[in-house]
Amino acid sequence: MDCIITIDIGTAQVKVSAFDTSARLVAARRGAYPTFHPQPDQSEQDPEQIFLTVLYALKSLLNEGLDRKHRPIALIFGASMHSLLPIDKHGVPLRNAVIWADNRGHNEADALRQHLLGQEIYEATGTPLHPMSPLVKLCWFKNHTPASWFERVYKFISIKEYILFQLTGQLVIDHSMASATGLLNIHQFGWEQKALHHAGVRMSQLSEVVPIHFDELKLKKEYVRLFRLPSSTKIIIGASDGCLATLGAGVVKEGDATITIGSSGAVRVAGSEVIKDPHQRFFNYVLTPDIYISGGPTNNGGVVFEWFAQQLGASGLFLDLEQSVEQLLREAERVPAGAGGLLFLPYLLGERAPLWNANVRGAYIGTNITHERKHFVRATIEGVVYEIHSIGKLLQQYRNIENLYLNGNYATRPLVAQIIADVFGKAVHINDQHDSASTGAALLALTHLGIYPTLPEAAQTVRSVETYQPDAVTHERYARFTQIFERLSQKLQEDFDALVALQA
Amino acid sequence: MNPPNLSESIPHLLELHRLKNQTVQLGAWPVRVSEHLRFVGILEGKFNWQIEGVPYILYPNDVVVLCPWHRIGNETATLEIGSFIEIALQTNKLEFEGSLQLGAWSALAEIDQRIIGKLLSNGPLVISHFKTLNELLQTIESEAKNGAFGHQTRINQVIDQLFIETVRQLSQQQSQRRDFSQAFGELEKMLRDSLDHPWTVEEMATIVGMSTTAFTEKVKSYSGFSPINYLINIRIAEAMRQIRQTDKSLTDIALDMGFYSSQHFSTTFKKLTGYTPGQYRKAPRPPERE
Repeated sequence: MDCIITIDIGTAQVKVSAFDTSARLVAARRGAYPTFHPQPDQSEQDPEQIFLTVLYALKSLLNEGLDRKHRPIALIFGASMHSLLPIDKHGVPLRNAVIWADNRGHNEADALRQHLLGQEIYEATGTPLHPMSPLVKLCWFKNHTPASWFERVYKFISIKEYILFQLTGQLVIDHSMASATGLLNIHQFGWEQKALHHAGVRMSQLSEVVPIHFDELKLKKEYVRLFRLPSSTKIIIGASDGCLATLGAGVVKEGDATITIGSSGAVRVAGSEVIKDPHQRFFNYVLTPDIYISGGPTNNGGVVFEWFAQQLGASGLFLDLEQSVEQLLREAERVPAGAGGLLFLPYLLGERAPLWNANVRGAYIGTNITHERKHFVRATIEGVVYEIHSIGKLLQQYRNIENLYLNGNYATRPLVAQIIADVFGKAVHINDQHDSASTGAALLALTHLGIYPTLPEAAQTVRSVETYQPDAVTHERYARFTQIFERLSQKLQEDFDALVALQA
Repeated sequence: MNPPNLSESIPHLLELHRLKNQTVQLGAWPVRVSEHLRFVGILEGKFNWQIEGVPYILYPNDVVVLCPWHRIGNETATLEIGSFIEIALQTNKLEFEGSLQLGAWSALAEIDQRIIGKLLSNGPLVISHFKTLNELLQTIESEAKNGAFGHQTRINQVIDQLFIETVRQLSQQQSQRRDFSQAFGELEKMLRDSLDHPWTVEEMATIVGMSTTAFTEKVKSYSGFSPINYLINIRIAEAMRQIRQTDKSLTDIALDMGFYSSQHFSTTFKKLTGYTPGQYRKAPRPPERE
């Protein structure tokens, strides 16, 4: 039986999965790697450790996880967006990779946002001017390293390009990953000169851009041997995890949106046009030249539940964070919607969409003498959902959203799913495939191999298995909370600035 | 009976004193280097101390354990009202990267000393509400003062017990206060800081504060790797970097990564990466396809 091998290189781990030709999961392996914080606002990863982990997970899936009757016909890659890794002319990393969560470029981002050039670059490239953006990271390097070092860098690549380079010796980047660098013109699909010029990089310091179905990659013979792959196996470059997760959730046309709450979160829509927001609040990434994935990311997703569980919940070595969060969710179920009037602003990590303010912080507001721990638990979950809702509400100024599809570890919990349905006042669906990014990669490969005629048709095969209906009365109650939530989020920004100065 | 001459009978007990302070003394307690392996137990009062640059407020029954290079004192050099007891110990070896040899006077097993060294060098230990340790410090004090029959043996035993209780308390705190991902993150940092150390699963489990079996299972479900494979992964990743970025000999890299022979290193490297270290150093680095 033919199967597709997907390799999803995420922030915390790589997931390697085998799908059959009807995009059903056959087997999977994973391997984790750490993020380093040399400074509190910096986040880096070791490209070699990620590469080894990819090899290990791939090898163990191909050599042990699959029986003989499964024949891999293609490998396809997805990865986290926004990482930046300088390599020398031998392809050797000059330092660790700087990843999306890294905030060192906040001054460079602020400067660019206030500049007319910033607006032009945002419109051309679709990536918000934020420290996550490789464009901004490059500006930081330009300002903080000697010009000679910058010149010596042979290429600036992403972790995904490095893994592919190690496996094949080829340096290429797909449209989708490239569209998250802040350097690609998302209307013409080539590197954007204005952005390159501002970042101080030459075109030759970036990889060649290819479509997401590019399959002219050839595994080095050592790896063909190590993986025991048939020589006919195709290597397809794939896309970014965000775009693939949207495809894998079955969302490729207008009217649909995905809500993801993993450790961070996002609301995403698909469409044939980009969203032109004068306030630069949304990203526009490329899946294919006909399908843009647009939306807003939040920093404060499941990481907020995890923080609560660690600091205020049941914690301990023998409890998984997941189990501990699970206990909290059960506690929250016993509190009616609205947490007894206790409201939580979840901005523990500053916020991206829709505020784009690194200095906002968290707050519990409206505490009274009758509130118990369980109210705080409930308020925490609701606060995260209100934040997601504030992104969704803004998106609806540009796009009609009828159907919501949930994915990510936390959005798909029954309690959270019901709260999302009630807060949005819309039915929400959970798909049969929980790992949307890997499913999306499999659908992309299967479409490229001709098993599905088009991506939209491939996306239709994703079925929703659970639907949560909104309760009209609860929705009305939540509508009052979301109003207060949005007002407070705006109103408190100045005071948060002052508090942040004291947190340094 | 006169108090015994400690510098003769217990030469490794370099300092032993109780400080009782009844008025605030300016300039009497500046931040300074500990110089020795040191235990400080608070008996009375409240002290605002900077320990390795981090401010702490210490209350009775709190205990601080310091390595020779750790800095401790009051930021404005003020000695506050209260009392504490401290002992300083001579060690044969206590190094920044955590190797510890207490000396012949200690009955602690070599592996136990290694774990203690790792934990101590990982940062100054500030343990709150640790009455047991304070009592042990006071036992040492009274044994030394009385000099009764067998006091040398007793003191050495109690010092060993200090270490045992400290490690146990730390393990217990680990399992109460941290979830696995935090504890694993700290362990990982220790692994990276000394890749050449001959790590065992038992050692790693103790540092995290779990039994070996529970630890192994937990690491697997957390990372997808067994503890040893996770460690090998870190070692080979670092080896890959050094092979490509430095001129170090492959034998030196193997030893620095904790492999006991270059053959063993080579086999492991090939199994994981598809190349031998030599091939990887020379591996053709094809230019970009144009």
